[in-house]
Amino acid sequence: MIWGALVGGLAGTLVLTTLLRAASELGLTRMDLPFLLGTAVTADRVRAKAVGYALHAVFGLVFSLAYYAVFAVVGRSGFVLGAAFGLVHALFAGSALVNVLLPVVHPRMGTGFTAAGSAPLLEPPGFMLLNYGRQTPLATVVAHVAYGAIVGGFVSLSG
Amino acid sequence: MGASRSRGYAPIRDYAAIGDGRTVALVARDGSVDWLCLPDLDSPSVLGALVDAERGGRFALEPEGPCEATRRYLPETNVLETTFATAAGTVRVTDAMTLPRGGLGPYRELVRRVDGLTGTVPLRWSLEPRFGYAGRTTRIERRAGVPVAVSGRDAVALCAWDAGEPADGGDAIVGRFEAREGRSSLLVLGAAHQEPLVLPSRDDAELRLHETERSWREWARDREYDGPWREAVLRSALALKLLVFAPSGAIAAAATTSLPEEIGGARNWDYRFSWPRDASFALQALLALGCAPEARAFFSWMLHASRLTHPRLHVLYRLDGRAEAEEESLPLAGYRGSRPVRIGNGAAQQVQLDVYGELLVAAARFASATGGLDRDHARRLAEVADFVCECWEQPDAGIWESRGERAHFVQSKLMCAVGLRQACELAEGGLLPAGNRARWGREEQRIRDFVETRGWSERQRAYVQRPGDERLDASLLVAVLAGYDEPRAPRLLATVDAVRRELGRGPLIHRYLGDDGLPGEEGAFLACSFWLVEAYARQGRLDEAAALMDELVPLANDVGLFAEEIDPATGEFLGNFPQGLSHLALVNAAVSIEEARA
Repeated sequence: MIWGALVGGLAGTLVLTTLLRAASELGLTRMDLPFLLGTAVTADRVRAKAVGYALHAVFGLVFSLAYYAVFAVVGRSGFVLGAAFGLVHALFAGSALVNVLLPVVHPRMGTGFTAAGSAPLLEPPGFMLLNYGRQTPLATVVAHVAYGAIVGGFVSLSG
Repeated sequence: MGASRSRGYAPIRDYAAIGDGRTVALVARDGSVDWLCLPDLDSPSVLGALVDAERGGRFALEPEGPCEATRRYLPETNVLETTFATAAGTVRVTDAMTLPRGGLGPYRELVRRVDGLTGTVPLRWSLEPRFGYAGRTTRIERRAGVPVAVSGRDAVALCAWDAGEPADGGDAIVGRFEAREGRSSLLVLGAAHQEPLVLPSRDDAELRLHETERSWREWARDREYDGPWREAVLRSALALKLLVFAPSGAIAAAATTSLPEEIGGARNWDYRFSWPRDASFALQALLALGCAPEARAFFSWMLHASRLTHPRLHVLYRLDGRAEAEEESLPLAGYRGSRPVRIGNGAAQQVQLDVYGELLVAAARFASATGGLDRDHARRLAEVADFVCECWEQPDAGIWESRGERAHFVQSKLMCAVGLRQACELAEGGLLPAGNRARWGREEQRIRDFVETRGWSERQRAYVQRPGDERLDASLLVAVLAGYDEPRAPRLLATVDAVRRELGRGPLIHRYLGDDGLPGEEGAFLACSFWLVEAYARQGRLDEAAALMDELVPLANDVGLFAEEIDPATGEFLGNFPQGLSHLALVNAAVSIEEARA
């Protein structure tokens, strides 16, 4: 069952990344999660993208294990429950994780308290990542719901 | 805005270009950036006052009150320096699109540094971003205290240091400050596309500006021409480098769309595409300047871009290699009322037979310079030669992209003959598959028979634009340049003289005269004027070539740039700007004179 979560996490991350990229190409958002994650590690743009994709995949697996733990506690799993987890995940990411926590730990991201100072600053995401475009919350929710549904589905199928 | 503006529009001659190998900004003499497409040269404009002074958007920076502006590029760079002299003092503005140097910088960055030279000069600035050719909604907000303008997947931020507090100016970000002697200020326009904005530090932006200047200088110092027109040739090389789209190697024909060939007229086209027609001129110029990497990149890009349409060549391709270029009109006022403002280019769908000759000439130049062609390129070029044998008898739109009925343009035919001759010679040298060599030779002869019998006018004593029509066409100068015959062949000598006589206006040459199916008229075509210089040089008429060159070179604007055309009566620039073909032709003309002298 844990393998189901990991495979689901990998597949879900692929789908989530693809959906967010598609939203970007469609002009719905400027959010670029691999870029955001990678620039926490390196200032080199090209390297940041590569590192960011790797980190994103790792986080996708870590979150799938968290989903798995909750599925184990509640004693059931499935596409619908996974999708519901994904919705909560998206709301948490938009309101707290990326909005509050990431700017605090990201060495190159601005917060509401910083002005353009001595270091390059990445534009902060804002509540529900609205700074990256008004459709960003929608894209984020859809992508995370898809991620959750895939993880939940794989866990259910492997159980 | 500057006094030389008419209804808000600066003369085309008043612009200078800065760029970073991805996009180009046009800066007017009065300090206003009136054209900037983001993120790429062929993307929609964010600053588009060039084609709509009221709604297009601009980034103005100017002294308050009357001033005199002088400007130059920093030597051997594409970094622009404008000095404003006012009654209160003198101030210098340095403008550049910075080149990335590692580290985290904005996706695209326009840096404007202001140095106070004497006195205390009050200045004002205003950024009016208008995304999507002024067609998209723009919101102005703040991030980490920095004003930003956002629209969909695009955003720009304006960072200002010692340049006044950026204030909300309605749909603009505005500021004013005093430039004091010995003090400097910095304004940085950073752009993002499909990613969060990067807000740079002042030190990083200053360093990138410094490194950008150094990079351009290093590139310029490797250029090889060392003749009497070195300054003009070097400026042309730098202008062409701005038009090389670094991500693909394509060379854009110009940085703008819809600058008119006739003020107030409808001859307004989008030139932010790459034309295979220019290939042989580009290869010739790039190789002569010692730009082998750029030549290799462009040749490879061209063969790659045309892979999907092979063996047919489209007239033009997008800078990313795609073949679609659907033409549409934008609801913009147009440069000094010149409508429509077009994006895309309907010529993409035309048949132009001369491009095959240009491609095969380019291949021969490339093979000669690099020692050969790879097997895949050779096979495809042989298939192009086969295709020429099948298509040369068709009518086409001609080199000038006539939008009227197709015709048997003589220049198209003779370029087909030149192309087949090049294919034969490459095959004889073992550089192309030789299986169809005999056929290429036979068809070449048939084309020559056509040109000599139907393309020659005894009355004009010249080759003419098309059979049965006595009109001359300056594109026939290409017969000398491309080696259709010995340069001093009697018919070529006579044609060159006839072109000068019939189409010349002082040192300038018109493409053709008379009706071309479009309303209005146009100016003299600068590339043709430089082609005449090159034709003279190749014919050994060096005094005539040098004299004409000496007359043409000073017609550039104050920073050495050329548009597509010039009004012979007023000297006003017309057409898109800066124009790659004009600068290619200038380089090739200067180099040809030196080669002939050697």
